[in-house]
Amino acid sequence: MGISSDKIREATAEALVRAGSSFTPGLRAAYARALEVETDERSLWAMRQFLENADVAERRTLPLCDDTGIPHVLLEVGELAEFGGAHLGAITEGIAQGLKRLPGRPMAVLGDEVQRIEQSQGLSLHSEDVVPPAFSVKRIPGDRVRITVLLLGGGPEIRAKTYRIFHKHRLETVVDEVAQWGIEAVRELGCTPAVVAVGLGRTHFEATSLMLEAMARGDLERQTPLEQQITEKINAGGSGPLGLGGRVSVLATLVNIGPQRASGVRIASVRTCCGIEPRRATVEVG
Amino acid sequence: MKPVRVETPIPPEAMAGLHVGDFLEISGVIYAGRDAVLPKIVAMSDAELAARGIALEGSVIFHTAVSVAGVGPTSSSKLEIEESIAPLSARGVRIHLGKGRLKADSIRALHAHGSLFAVTTPSTALLTDRILATEIAAFPELGMEALYRLRVDRIPAVVAILHGNSIFEQQTQQG
Repeated sequence: MGISSDKIREATAEALVRAGSSFTPGLRAAYARALEVETDERSLWAMRQFLENADVAERRTLPLCDDTGIPHVLLEVGELAEFGGAHLGAITEGIAQGLKRLPGRPMAVLGDEVQRIEQSQGLSLHSEDVVPPAFSVKRIPGDRVRITVLLLGGGPEIRAKTYRIFHKHRLETVVDEVAQWGIEAVRELGCTPAVVAVGLGRTHFEATSLMLEAMARGDLERQTPLEQQITEKINAGGSGPLGLGGRVSVLATLVNIGPQRASGVRIASVRTCCGIEPRRATVEVG
Repeated sequence: MKPVRVETPIPPEAMAGLHVGDFLEISGVIYAGRDAVLPKIVAMSDAELAARGIALEGSVIFHTAVSVAGVGPTSSSKLEIEESIAPLSARGVRIHLGKGRLKADSIRALHAHGSLFAVTTPSTALLTDRILATEIAAFPELGMEALYRLRVDRIPAVVAILHGNSIFEQQTQQG
């Protein structure tokens, strides 16, 4: 018997609500680490506000932030799973149902191409009209389907960057460049402490996909030496939460390195996620 | 440090006792608006504002959308928002509440008009019980980006820019 579309729809909606209204255990652990090392009064105040907000959001199933974000779907399909177009439709419907329940911010821009750019026809009044971009799909072993919902807020999108790095055949060159982008981003981003998501690939598409995977699956509790190094370099900048100063501009870094091109160039995608991100939840159906 | 309680309308002399880094709790009637509506408010005459019952003298403008999802600060450095800070300060807005670093021109304009910029965390769930009432004050066709009038109780914030000083520039110098 194939996978039920109803189950997929409901699981997707549940994942969206969970992503938008709760911190993952990893994010809580990252805050706990940060509170242990921070001494600045304003920095401590800001981080405690983030945590208190998360407590209330989780307890009452309220949005963590009024910018409920653009939903992104990362799909992993078991190689033995019977999965087709109807299931993709169920995921889209699940996203819409999740946005109605959360509730998502009604921020879909109305009109044709030009009108949408100029935002001249106003906004839809319906949360569920915020549609996700194309899903990312990967094959996994087994017969189940894993659906991850990410909610991407607008502030980090202003600061995110996908660009080339001339690496000079040294990892250190890439690390320094990424950390420099991070320092500049956390100075401007109002909602720090950040989690820095990094994708390193061959094309802009691949680097951004890898960065999204880092947000979706990266481990905030166990940081690699490379991730720790980037975090420490950015924190040395001293911006602190909300830019108010302190030791913690960045809670953690999530690095995802993909295949690389035979070239002196690496494409890096860096997103300084705000202090409530990554807003992510994964459900498995099968 | 104990927060300073601020109630709207804020008299100009209240600014003298405040400093960069102070914790605030803002109560009373405030306005909420962002990219789409603030340029329209800047362009309105005093008579047009008065006709809609909008009183900028001593007011607070919270850079946020207002929707079923709640409220929370958006980036105040977004072009249309930051460009509203100088002209609205000149017309009596005492506190611009948002998030993120502002440019040197904005720091000077705030100083010139005796206004301040404060930041707050994106604590939408936490603020739910502190927003006592909301109504649209102008441009309802903009939906969540309309100008809203909110009655609020103790919104927490930190003074980031005041008297020509910016907490963000202090971090840059130290960093």
